[in-house]
Amino acid sequence: MRKALGAVLACALLLGGCAAPAPEAHSSTLLAMDTVMEFTAYGERGGESVEAAKDTVRELEALLSVTGEGSEIYRANHGEAVKLSPMTADLLGEAMEACASTGGALDVTVYPVVRAWGFTTGNYQVPDQQTLSALLEQVDYTQVQVENAVLDLPEGVELDLGAAAKGYAGDRLMDLFRGYGVTSAMVTLGGNVQVLGAKPDGSAWRVAVQDPAGDGYAGVVRVTDKAVVTSGGYQRYFEKDGVRYSHIIDPATGYPAASGLTSVTIVCGSGVWADCLSTALFVMGKEKAAGYWRAQNGWLEGGFDFILLGEDGTVTITQGLEDSFSLYGDWSDHTLEVVRP
Amino acid sequence: VKSTKFWVILLSALLVLSLGLAFLVLRGKGGTVAAVYQDGKLLRTIELSQVDEPYTFQVDGPAGANTVEVERGRIRVKHADCPDQVCVHQGWISTGVTPIVCLPNRLVIQLEGGGDAGIDGVSK
Repeated sequence: MRKALGAVLACALLLGGCAAPAPEAHSSTLLAMDTVMEFTAYGERGGESVEAAKDTVRELEALLSVTGEGSEIYRANHGEAVKLSPMTADLLGEAMEACASTGGALDVTVYPVVRAWGFTTGNYQVPDQQTLSALLEQVDYTQVQVENAVLDLPEGVELDLGAAAKGYAGDRLMDLFRGYGVTSAMVTLGGNVQVLGAKPDGSAWRVAVQDPAGDGYAGVVRVTDKAVVTSGGYQRYFEKDGVRYSHIIDPATGYPAASGLTSVTIVCGSGVWADCLSTALFVMGKEKAAGYWRAQNGWLEGGFDFILLGEDGTVTITQGLEDSFSLYGDWSDHTLEVVRP
Repeated sequence: VKSTKFWVILLSALLVLSLGLAFLVLRGKGGTVAAVYQDGKLLRTIELSQVDEPYTFQVDGPAGANTVEVERGRIRVKHADCPDQVCVHQGWISTGVTPIVCLPNRLVIQLEGGGDAGIDGVSK
């Protein structure tokens, strides 16, 4: 009898215990690429992998920083023909493809214009039209040519991969985690969120989209194996004479993009594409963004989806997110439109 | 022998059931709780969903004072004497995703619980 009861108790304990043993979380924080980065990986080799992740980010930063003397980008911007490392070449290739596919809504050579506005230094100013026109003549991503992995920029053309670098870093980190046998991980690179697999309990990651006007969230999207990247005018801006100027410059006009959107969030298996497209679609605005999404026709493996927040408060999502996105809190009564193919 | 077996099965079934129930009840409690720590010591906890009237309180530390403001569902550092103002600029928090940290005053405000509002990351 006693034996039987003991066995029953042991069973109950075992059953109760079944839900409990979650793989251990290993987290790490790093200040890099002008932002705060957080890595969390689960499981046996999670600890090792987040340490290695730091090294990868530092390595990328050293290659790509537009202000860091000695970086490949810095040298190319200062008149040198630079033999690109494999990672820089790979990233530049992806970014150039994004520039072309978005018809220049993303342009990696817009940097001199961004600088004229003071967004690179914080010394904000509104450049006069003459200055902008002169600078715009040199804004043309097609002038960036790489031959035999050597980047040689024409005089006056400057390259900034800032719109793609964090996204690319996310991709590299996902690869790195996989290499360590990690199956569940999340990184936050500034405002970029990228996840590997599902959460340790098998459920999808819940990634919130920031409310551009406040501290809360506009919505939540449930994802596995995706990057969720947001671009918005609210992230960096200055005000002069009552006008707000935001940091996302339309390469066509040289002025901050005024497309009627407050933010664009891209959900995509590729971090670098999510990063590039969030900027490009913010410049495009709602109609063009929807047209671009409809025209993608599978050129991007796995495709992508978006969440657009309009200045009028409407939220527009693409069909792929219909079942995984929901408005959050105060935003629950906002109009939600769905773009279909 | 037969009756013993019956009782063993009944009791074990009850045991498993009550364990399961306790698990669900304990987990399902919805409210978000703000825990205010200084130097790792818990100063107070606040059940944010139970806050009717907004209020503030002060925490003194090595670098001066932090004024913490509480409203229903959210909490922030309204004022800090420290030079960097990182905690003030962080603004209101209403989820446990990112705690408020004031390094100079060794103050940490961490939100716990919150049921299905659980958010793993914020894209911004």
